[in-house]
Amino acid sequence: MVALDCPRLEGGRDHQARLTCCALAVALAVTMLMSLSHGASGVSLWSLTLGDAMPARDRLILWEIRLPRMLTGILVGASLAMAGAVMQGLFRNPLADPGLVGVGAGAGLGAVLAIVLGGMAPLWLGAALGYHLVPVAAFLGGWLSTLLLYRVATRSGRTSVATMLLAGIALGALAGAVTGVLVYIADDRQLRDLTFWGLGSLGGASWPKLMAAGPVMILALVAAPFLARGLNGLALGEAAAHHIGLPVQRVKTVAILTVAAATGAAVAVAGGIGFIGIVVPHLLRLATGPDHRFLLINAGLAGAILLLLADLIARSIIAPAELPIGIVTATLGAPVFLWILLRRRGVVDL
Amino acid sequence: MTGRSLLTVGRFHASLTAILLVASVATSARAEEGPQRVVAAGGSAAEIVYALGQGDRLIARDTTSSYPEAVLALPDVGYVRQLSPENLIAMDPDLILAEHDAGPPETIEILTHAGVPMVTLPQALTPADVLAKIAATAEALGVPEAGAALAEKTSADFDAAAAAAASMPARPRVLFVLSLQGGRILAAGDDTSAAAMIGLAGGVNAVEGLSGYKPLTDEAAIAAAPDVILAMDRGGDLEVEASELVAQPALALTPAGQAGLVIRMDGLYLLGFGPRTGAAALELNAALRAAVEEKG
Amino acid sequence: MLVAEDIRVVLGKAAVLHGITAEAHAGEVTVIVGPNGSGKTTLLRALTGDVGFRGRVRLNGRDCSELQAWELAALRGVLPQASALAFPFTVAEVVRLGLTAAVHADRGDLVARALAAVDMLGFAARLYQELSGGQQARVQLARVLVQVWEPVVDGVPRWLFLDEPVASLDIAHQLDVIGLMRGFAERGGGVVSVLHDLNLTAMVADRVWLMDQGRLTGQGSVTQVLTDEALERAYGCRLRVGCLPPAGGWFALPQAVGGQGT
Repeated sequence: MVALDCPRLEGGRDHQARLTCCALAVALAVTMLMSLSHGASGVSLWSLTLGDAMPARDRLILWEIRLPRMLTGILVGASLAMAGAVMQGLFRNPLADPGLVGVGAGAGLGAVLAIVLGGMAPLWLGAALGYHLVPVAAFLGGWLSTLLLYRVATRSGRTSVATMLLAGIALGALAGAVTGVLVYIADDRQLRDLTFWGLGSLGGASWPKLMAAGPVMILALVAAPFLARGLNGLALGEAAAHHIGLPVQRVKTVAILTVAAATGAAVAVAGGIGFIGIVVPHLLRLATGPDHRFLLINAGLAGAILLLLADLIARSIIAPAELPIGIVTATLGAPVFLWILLRRRGVVDL
Repeated sequence: MTGRSLLTVGRFHASLTAILLVASVATSARAEEGPQRVVAAGGSAAEIVYALGQGDRLIARDTTSSYPEAVLALPDVGYVRQLSPENLIAMDPDLILAEHDAGPPETIEILTHAGVPMVTLPQALTPADVLAKIAATAEALGVPEAGAALAEKTSADFDAAAAAAASMPARPRVLFVLSLQGGRILAAGDDTSAAAMIGLAGGVNAVEGLSGYKPLTDEAAIAAAPDVILAMDRGGDLEVEASELVAQPALALTPAGQAGLVIRMDGLYLLGFGPRTGAAALELNAALRAAVEEKG
Repeated sequence: MLVAEDIRVVLGKAAVLHGITAEAHAGEVTVIVGPNGSGKTTLLRALTGDVGFRGRVRLNGRDCSELQAWELAALRGVLPQASALAFPFTVAEVVRLGLTAAVHADRGDLVARALAAVDMLGFAARLYQELSGGQQARVQLARVLVQVWEPVVDGVPRWLFLDEPVASLDIAHQLDVIGLMRGFAERGGGVVSVLHDLNLTAMVADRVWLMDQGRLTGQGSVTQVLTDEALERAYGCRLRVGCLPPAGGWFALPQAVGGQGT
């Protein structure tokens, strides 16, 4: 308890951050219930109380559609927000996002390759992956490009974050060019698929996908909070972080791998959902400070809540059709973000 | 640019054909058995259902279904490849008529799992495919007689179009321009419904060796030397004005540009590959014939 | 004891340090002085491993290159010249980062005491980035102080490496910091600091390393090293050193360029 430790000291925001954490956990629980009980079919959770008398249709909607979709939403939202926070801590820049380490470009390229050239995949590959080809390709693309950048930026055991950033920009341009070539040879249908993929959706959530990508995201979500002290130290700069006793290189390596895993898997199952990775950590920093011991966990919780709410809107606002979720996160998130920035104008908060 | 004439095909002909079709099958008693709550996922699915006189069985359609006009009044379940499983189940359909590329696959899987009856229609780029599609739809709706009648009518249209195409004195080279954004020509290559349509109407696709809809350089456009330019006149963003087409510098140098021979037709009618396609081919043939004759 | 053996540093193609061999003792304040570009900061950065070098640095008899970050952090605190902070941490949060090294888990009111020592306790809840440069420097010093709060642990001395700790401070706070350095040394710790001000150096140093053009040109007590001739040679200007009569305080007065002196 901080209050007992430093009776004369102000300026700790731990208490606030812990309260926020509890509030977010409660809010997430509520959002989860909302997500499970709302849907176009009108099936509610009360159906569960019927036990064996529950209609097969209700059971199917709850277990095969809403539950995997809700769990996917939680994991994807938490992964994107937490990966954003880790990236910003690593690059010491509140504007950093996982795209900087090449995950975005690589995953996008992988997805485009799979969508456009998927038909040409060897038969055994097509048979083994089926329609999971796109997510698998996105995940591999994200990972490969991250590893490539990491190798480029690492000299004699030290990773230069600045080099990685520059190389990431170059790789992004290259991936963009290759994507352009693929767009050129794509047909109309593939082009629409590309567009929708880029806007993101939880519509494709299913148990098999969740079983494949979920463990990767869970691993990253569990690993990230262990980076908290390291990222706090990095705020002082790499040299100072080393001098307060942190294994700086290991922190950087683990941070990069964690971000690649979380983002790669999230993008693979849900496509490109922007905005969460930047906005959520930023808002939490304004609310409870930049201490990563709380920021990472709170960002995960808030990201999950935000994505579940966005999904609720996405699937109900134009029912029976469904809006790509990336549109919802951006149209709702951006104005709120701008409003907060305007309100806080003049305060140094970078 | 004297003697310039724009051959625009009136849509009334198409509408008339559709009305006649509906009238011809409306006499067949509506099947009281079979699915009564049908969702059409894919433009030609809805079109065929209406052509079979079973339009009142439709409860929803996808975004690509836009013909006939009545279909637009139905709830829209979204883009045909981005269907939402719960929202579809919520409509409580007893049949989903899906085109071959309806998706995403996860949704199809869940719908199958949920026991929602679904019929996937074959892809169509030839008259035989269209007939197969009609037959499959009629069977799914339990109206084989109406299906047979529609197939017969459609088949007759195709035959008429084929006969007309065969009797063409010369096969004109036709360039299909999908769009002309910023003066850049987006043309139809091989393996497109436009190329298939041009073939049915007795023309030759002027662009060879390209697959799909591709941007064409000015030089390639000149080298393609089309006798006639074909474009859509209700393609939304893709609508291209005839005057723009003949004013495009490269196209102006082609035989079609110099003679001002531009044919414009409704996009779905021209490229939809449904029951109206035979009629559309016949119409396009007539227009091509007129163009060739005018050119002398 | 701190022993530097034949430290050589090459930055790009330029040799910056040409083989420095020197030593500093626990219980003493060692000050590195010299003109701009003489290699003071580079030497300090070599001693703390922040710049690649050839040679060897031993701290308390152990080769620094063989120690892990956490072992080094338990042995020494390092204050760099300038510290930019990435995110809006409060002053208290910044100082608490000094407690990261696991040696002393949360030591109660250490943060508050360190802030009081640099006269910043009243600013604990303020955002670091809203402070003036001098205030930020004091907060950073407090952060380093909490890391090695006890100068001697289990009979092993701990060290402070400070790069220009008084650079942006007013005279009163300069004296505060000088006092902190002395106090740390008198309680058994070792202090190695780069300073610009010769008079402050004379006030605090037990031992002076005089740097000139990448070489150590003098090593020893204030009176041994800081002589008129040595300073004139190093700084290229005329200086007169002397003692204030009552307390015996050493001072250095610059002489006007081209002036005839006394």
